[in-house]
Amino acid sequence: MKIKQHFNIGDITTVDLLPKGTKVKVTEIHTPDHIFKRRLMDMGITEGVRMQIKKIAPLGDPIDIELRGYELCLRKKDLALINVEVIK
Amino acid sequence: MRVALVGNQNSGKTTLFNLLTGSHQKIGNWPGVTIEKKEGIIRTTDFELIDLPGVYSLSAYSQDEKITVDYLLNEKVDLIVNIIDATAIERSLYLTTQLLELNIPVVIALNMSDLIEKNGIKIDFEYIEKKLDTTIIQISALKKFGILNLIQAIKQPNNRKNKYVHIFDHILEDAITKIEKNIDHPFKRYIALKLIEGHELFAKYNQKSIQEIIDDIKPNYQRDLEQIIVDERYRYIESIRDESIKWHRRHMTVTDKVDRVILNKYLALPIFMGIMFLIYYLAAGPFGSLTVDFVDQLIGKFSEWFNLKLISWNASDWSRSLVIDGVVAGVGAVLNFVPQLIILFIGISLLETTGYMSRIAFFLDRVFQKVGLSGKSLIPFIVGSGCSVPAIMSARSIQDETEKKVTIMLTPFIPCSAKLPIITLFAGYFFSDHSGLVSASLYFLAIILIIGIAFVFKKIFYKDHQSSFILELPSYKVPQVSYIVKDVYQKVAAFVVQAGTIIFMSSVLIWFLISFSFAFEYGVLPDESMLAGIGKVFSWLFYPFLGTFSWEASVSVIQGLVAKEQVISSMAIIAGFSEGTSSGVLIFNASAFSFFSASSAYAFMVFNLFSAPCFGSIGAMKKELRDSKSLWLALGLQTGIAWVLATIVYQVGHLIEVLL
Repeated sequence: MKIKQHFNIGDITTVDLLPKGTKVKVTEIHTPDHIFKRRLMDMGITEGVRMQIKKIAPLGDPIDIELRGYELCLRKKDLALINVEVIK
Repeated sequence: MRVALVGNQNSGKTTLFNLLTGSHQKIGNWPGVTIEKKEGIIRTTDFELIDLPGVYSLSAYSQDEKITVDYLLNEKVDLIVNIIDATAIERSLYLTTQLLELNIPVVIALNMSDLIEKNGIKIDFEYIEKKLDTTIIQISALKKFGILNLIQAIKQPNNRKNKYVHIFDHILEDAITKIEKNIDHPFKRYIALKLIEGHELFAKYNQKSIQEIIDDIKPNYQRDLEQIIVDERYRYIESIRDESIKWHRRHMTVTDKVDRVILNKYLALPIFMGIMFLIYYLAAGPFGSLTVDFVDQLIGKFSEWFNLKLISWNASDWSRSLVIDGVVAGVGAVLNFVPQLIILFIGISLLETTGYMSRIAFFLDRVFQKVGLSGKSLIPFIVGSGCSVPAIMSARSIQDETEKKVTIMLTPFIPCSAKLPIITLFAGYFFSDHSGLVSASLYFLAIILIIGIAFVFKKIFYKDHQSSFILELPSYKVPQVSYIVKDVYQKVAAFVVQAGTIIFMSSVLIWFLISFSFAFEYGVLPDESMLAGIGKVFSWLFYPFLGTFSWEASVSVIQGLVAKEQVISSMAIIAGFSEGTSSGVLIFNASAFSFFSASSAYAFMVFNLFSAPCFGSIGAMKKELRDSKSLWLALGLQTGIAWVLATIVYQVGHLIEVLL
């Protein structure tokens, strides 16, 4: 059971741990799979991009994030590969 | 002249293609509808238009990206029409920056431009045009405006400019220019960038001198060059965005509000089940059966009337039998189900065009992920309740190869519309009061089978398989009535044409086989006919779940391979030849099929629904699996499971019947 943590602005974490509505800035994508990393980057997930957690699927996974004016769904385990800084 | 239509998935590419060429392609509001490239001629011109698969990038990693890059690089494209979703302009321009490097003129078609103002966005188009040195035409493919302007822009050569604009920092730009000098290829710049990115597919263009240039610039950056290039592209787009796009933030869009309900933690699943139940209940339940009875009566009247006509024309006995007992009985048995199919196809079409399909994929991914499938597998499964062939092809939008393969192998388990007649007929007769429940139970059984088999596959074959899920969630769209009408019409027309050709010919063949003995005597008892001879060879196979040796049922089942609706068609013809026929439900009053009880009827449905699909679907599976071992495994598995399951159903059901 995951303990619901409280996050402060400026914390470095990953999206899968954050509540709905949080705004974040991507700091790093760390996956050894460079094709998958490229796919994420192609979809606009680059370092420094701002994202907001829009929707969380009813079963808790995947998570829908808004970035660059559109919405993208990713699984938690993939989101765990993206380090972000909480901005709001 | 050759024009290529390039754009992101779900950008409205196929809709625009149809408008530009006047042809009618498949449209849906979920990413990845364009399955293969399609060609057409642009209206009022002699320009060839090619609809390429939707891509987000020219990375040349995924199958779709490879098809697109390969086409643009090798097929002498004169002009690219880059369609952009105005509501996701930032992400869309990322592809544009790559297209502009190909040195092929680009015209941008800014689709859904009617939504810009609605969404509270202000865009300075002149600025973007200047920054990218290209032409932007505002259109709305759905509302059909700006299309003529776009055709004009395509026609006018001076509308196409694109002198390459420098988008990278000067270190990269210098390196690109130097590398270009070492490459002998019409698309120097693209290749140069791919070499800097280190893409294996283009390694053959690499040389020592090029590698030296690349190694030289590496120390300038802290990260790998591929990442730098992507970053630089987006940085350039961000600078354009900041200068030209003004947002008036709205708190919530309509889509957000709808999703609050549709994707609500507690409501999502009940709503989904409610919608699916409604569609299948209307199609396969009592209402659907009512329409079937209605058409059945019409065809019955037609049959009587036509028989009298033939008598009045002094038609010979055998020719009258061929027409009435063969063709009208066989083809008519299938046509009965047209109204039902219309209901089903409208339902599926609505799911596809509104954007709900992507939501289903989103919120059920969790469940399917557990069994080694993807939320996107749901799209083939739902489309498959219409027809397995397009369903199997739509599995291409699943990126992961394993998930795609398993999805394709399992899609035929979903009862398709051609199996609907079998369900309606059997459930309606043997479970009259509970026919809706019985139909629903079969769909439910299909889902259990799919999830169960996928789970077993995952445990045995793909133990440590990891996959990812990337899905764009589009905004909801109000479906276009004219499109739905066309879409449903096309599918129903295909069914009727099939009835007029394949079912027609099969009916003639069945009539021939049942009318003649092996000694070519006409008018023998059905039991002495060739058909009976053939059926008796196989009837032992079906004994375990029919409870009797029935050559009549056996030959009918085997014909399901031609087309599943042929099972009913064949049974109708055979019933016509056997004794005891009366009005009403003709088939089960015939002595040939009077042996059916509730348990064998259910077992018969199970076998027909889940065994190997029709040849059309097998062909599609073969094409998409690209591996005959998987194909045979799938067909064997389907037929094996269907047989075992049918046998269990009959044996258990029969026991209960006897005990009661």
